Amino acid sequence: MTALSLEFWAFVGVIAGIYTILALGLQVQFGFTGLLNFGHAAFMAVGAYTMAILVVKASFPLWAASLAAIAAAIAFGLLLGLPTLRLRADYLAITTIAFAEIVRYVAINEQTLTGGPVGTIALAGPGRAASYNAEWLDVQRTVQDWLEAVIGDHATRDVTMLVIVWAVALVLLVVVDAALRSPWGRVLRSIREDEDAASALGKNVFAYKLQALALGAALAAVAGLFFAFQFSFFSPGDFDPLVTFFAYTIVILGGTARNWALPVGAVLFGLIFAGTRFFDFTPFTLFDSADRAYLRLIVIGLILIGLMLFRPQGLFGKREEMVLE
Amino acid sequence: MSPLLEAREIRKRYGGVVAVDAATLSVEPRSITALIGPNGAGKTTLFNVVSGFARPDSGSVLLGGERIDGRTPHAVARRGLARTFQTPKALTRMSVLENMLLAAPRHPGEQLWRLVATPGAGRRREREIRERALELLGLVRLDGLAGDYAGTLSGGQRKLLELTRALMTEPRLLLLDEPMAGVNPTLALQLLDRIRTLREEQGLTFLLIDHDLDVVMSVSDRVIVMNEGRVIAAGTPAEVRSDPQVADAYLGAHAGEPG
Repeated sequence: MTALSLEFWAFVGVIAGIYTILALGLQVQFGFTGLLNFGHAAFMAVGAYTMAILVVKASFPLWAASLAAIAAAIAFGLLLGLPTLRLRADYLAITTIAFAEIVRYVAINEQTLTGGPVGTIALAGPGRAASYNAEWLDVQRTVQDWLEAVIGDHATRDVTMLVIVWAVALVLLVVVDAALRSPWGRVLRSIREDEDAASALGKNVFAYKLQALALGAALAAVAGLFFAFQFSFFSPGDFDPLVTFFAYTIVILGGTARNWALPVGAVLFGLIFAGTRFFDFTPFTLFDSADRAYLRLIVIGLILIGLMLFRPQGLFGKREEMVLE
Repeated sequence: MSPLLEAREIRKRYGGVVAVDAATLSVEPRSITALIGPNGAGKTTLFNVVSGFARPDSGSVLLGGERIDGRTPHAVARRGLARTFQTPKALTRMSVLENMLLAAPRHPGEQLWRLVATPGAGRRREREIRERALELLGLVRLDGLAGDYAGTLSGGQRKLLELTRALMTEPRLLLLDEPMAGVNPTLALQLLDRIRTLREEQGLTFLLIDHDLDVVMSVSDRVIVMNEGRVIAAGTPAEVRSDPQVADAYLGAHAGEPG
């Protein structure tokens, strides 16, 4: 994979698309409703694992397993929200962290169910492990044939994936954006601003928070599905807390509660995430490539710090909103 | 006529502090009732209990004859009780108009499934309430600021917005916690005027907390006085004014306050 190859950019684009969907879920919860969900990656994991397990172990067709995966994430969201959403905001934050770690540790330790620390490659033995992947490749091939008719030889597998992921991401963006602009979204924002005011005006704050949490979880599950399709095999390590913070980075980078800033934030993130491979000159050559991969974490951290210092409202946010009390 | 609001033997303690101690009061429909008392008398706690924000340790609250104690604030609000807060809760990063639109009851567009099933109904309601919101904002001269962030309003303007927003919920009873505090005197007089008009024209009922005795006395039909968690007097402004107990507890304490 050379730096300027189409494959490379398609890969960056797919990552950005997946993270757009993931960040959109966080946008609903954090950006609009003010819910501090620090366990977002776990909903992504629930989506990916549920799909893989149902296809491999229960021979579900891919579409049914995918729907079940989204339903499972929603169910986990409700399970998490029911006892905690009535509490103060910080309790939810703590609980979501614990929840995400529980999900990850279950994935690591329940080896017969999940394949354990090595990931889904060990799910049911080499032959059957990839069965969900096979069905996905069929889907992808169908789209690829159709694409070939339009753009010819450029329609490689990576480009096809790019088109699929972004088509879904954009549709979700349009739909969720419309919902957030509606009177329903207005209630969510009022909860973010002041819960007591919202409930004094007759809004069932708890019910709206649950809906936001569930919708966000569903979106994370969709991101998880595409993650599974893109990488074929995944392991618990793919859903560590860092992933949640990447999603936060994207939301904050673009500007909290700015939906159309999400894809921009995600592409920027994708570039940084994949871009450290270009650091092949001194002084970076002092580090081996594995160490250099960690540089991206430092770069992402520095960008966040710089943003908070110089543009706390994000790239597209309104500064005036930051000073309102 | 049976009272619109009745609070019977309300007790509420926070830790070792008895904030409200067997307080009983009632508010007649179409009346303007003032709740006064020195700082720490339990007025705001009583408001919180009545509006569902605090659960009483014992006692009951009836709105139009229906028990509402123990219900959630939104359930109480939907039964026609609107309240404002001592420190106004303007939704600062939303526009003044959005603050108003949010308060409208029975909005189909606020339900996700209806948004999908009957999008037209939501849009219709939105147009309806927009008209009403602008009209109400006009009454308090905030219509020119409809598009501004509520966070840019002054303290007094926020009080006005909160009152107007409460009206948007189509209430039967309004609980106003110090509606005149921080509002400039001219505006405060307008506000009082507005309260009177709303009572006369729409039959609304008001229960308001205030510190300014003169203002309270001039606007209210009835005055309820609290001290140390108890209701120590209730009656017409003249009766209350001549009550020695009130002069003692309330005015005495008030006179001792700095400033």
